[in-house]
Amino acid sequence: MELPVLNEKPTQGGCAASSCGSSDDQLNHLSDEIRAKVQNHPCYSEDAHHYFARMHVAVAPACNIQCHYCNRKYDCANESRPGVVSELLTPNQAVKKTMAVAANIPQMTVLGIAGPGDPLANPERTFETFRRLSEEAPDIKLCVSTNGLALPDAVEELSKHNIDHVTITINCVDPKIGAKIYPWIFWKNKRIKGEKAAKILIEQQQKGLEMLVAKGILVKVNSVMIPGVNDKHLAEVSKIVKAKGAFLHNVMPLIAEAEHGTFYGVMGQRGPTALELQELQDDCSGDMNMMRHCRQCRADAVGMLGEDRGDEFTLDKIEDMEIDYQAAMEKRKVIHQAIEVEMNSKRAAKVEVKAEKLGTRPALMAVATSGQGVINVHFGHAKEFLIYEASPEGVRFISHRKVDQYCEGDTSCGDGESVLQRTIRTLEGCEAVLCSKIGYEPWEMLETAGIMPNGEHAMEEIEAAVMLVYNEMAKSGKLDEVKQRATA
Amino acid sequence: MSLKIIESCVNCFACEPLCPSKAIYEAKPHFLIDAKKCTECVGDFDVPQCASICPIEGAILDALNVPLNPAGSLTGIPPEKMAEAMAELQAH
Repeated sequence: MELPVLNEKPTQGGCAASSCGSSDDQLNHLSDEIRAKVQNHPCYSEDAHHYFARMHVAVAPACNIQCHYCNRKYDCANESRPGVVSELLTPNQAVKKTMAVAANIPQMTVLGIAGPGDPLANPERTFETFRRLSEEAPDIKLCVSTNGLALPDAVEELSKHNIDHVTITINCVDPKIGAKIYPWIFWKNKRIKGEKAAKILIEQQQKGLEMLVAKGILVKVNSVMIPGVNDKHLAEVSKIVKAKGAFLHNVMPLIAEAEHGTFYGVMGQRGPTALELQELQDDCSGDMNMMRHCRQCRADAVGMLGEDRGDEFTLDKIEDMEIDYQAAMEKRKVIHQAIEVEMNSKRAAKVEVKAEKLGTRPALMAVATSGQGVINVHFGHAKEFLIYEASPEGVRFISHRKVDQYCEGDTSCGDGESVLQRTIRTLEGCEAVLCSKIGYEPWEMLETAGIMPNGEHAMEEIEAAVMLVYNEMAKSGKLDEVKQRATA
Repeated sequence: MSLKIIESCVNCFACEPLCPSKAIYEAKPHFLIDAKKCTECVGDFDVPQCASICPIEGAILDALNVPLNPAGSLTGIPPEKMAEAMAELQAH
């Protein structure tokens, strides 16, 4: 038996049809055909992201629009966010790098092109890479991410290369809002600004979405949540793209800091808090399969979601690697099968832990994990936490929260906040944190902050452990009163 | 009559395929315009193509060394606001 993991917010007076029954992630809404396509795709399947890895190759530097959250000058080795890369590759280098990674990290199943510009504004470089990879490494899934402006013209070519996933970033369907996000586009040999530009971009995005769906290509929609700009508008975007056939909606928080040099960063536009993001994702989920495990990775990321092994595969390093891809493919096949067996047996062996007490309120818990669906990371080593909500209806995955990355010179930056304090602030709204081990100092600080540390479930399956902890909390009476959920 | 690419170019390749005169070429440390070939797009387009797609303010100059995309014209960030933010970051 499987523990139900609910992805829709439980509705009052019975269960919503879409959230009834047992399910293991947000994919439970999808048809069998789509499920089969995404089951080993870490970016699309919450379950798969514990087991499979992805990589991006930075072959597409040019862009045909400007977004206020992007700075085209940005190039940094330490930052992890979209649009950032260290090294631009030619298609030939990208093919070599992909095969080197595939041979060395057999869990890598997906190759994406996501920038640092717009892949479809660099059609020759992008399609040359796809063309060669579909011939030379046919066991790798290909996908592409675009702003949509050049999408309608690219659909035909995309459908030739066995690309079954496309991500379109759609931040709005209203040109008035678009004008606050996109200062200009390059269209028909001219730079166009303001609402006129946004209107063209929106039309191209919607047309591209419809054309991809008509071709049977899976479309995921990404939206950047920008408080005060499009936060109130994204539920409508969600409704529209779902109606047109997008299979997944991924609402991501704006990342904006002055040092990034972006319009939003310099002008002091803030990003959403974790709770604001979660509330919007919940609002949208009534209409849409929501994705909650996105790590907003770099345009040259390599490895499992949330990790980056790009340093092991720099150009000078792959230069010396001799790859026998036929042999690698055999090895990969064996490993993929083993992973599938493991995933299936884990699913089958899942211990059902039921809520023991009804009528208690839901509670958020943070989990330190590095994958395989178990609690296996020391509190102090966690670079991110997965957030789960437990309630009498079951356990559902909500989001991941990155522990604030700080620069080396942090001690001189002088805001007086320790790394530990930052980590605890990241866990705002959570009532317990489950990890494999935890030190004395953080234990005390967590307790003071009202978050119960718990190291009793090391190496145990996440959802079952979350429910066990929830039951203990319920038994002690902590969950009886309906606590107002904090809104920032 | 020729445009010029200067060191603030980030090598994004966007301009190169657009040039009707094939005057733009990849070079180190940044892209360059062959002054003998550049026509500033006269006769081909209403506006110079490289300067119409370039995302970097100040990276492309005209024959008089005047930037075709002055500070603030592309990002919408007022130059004084940018200076203020950068000064504040330097102070830390």
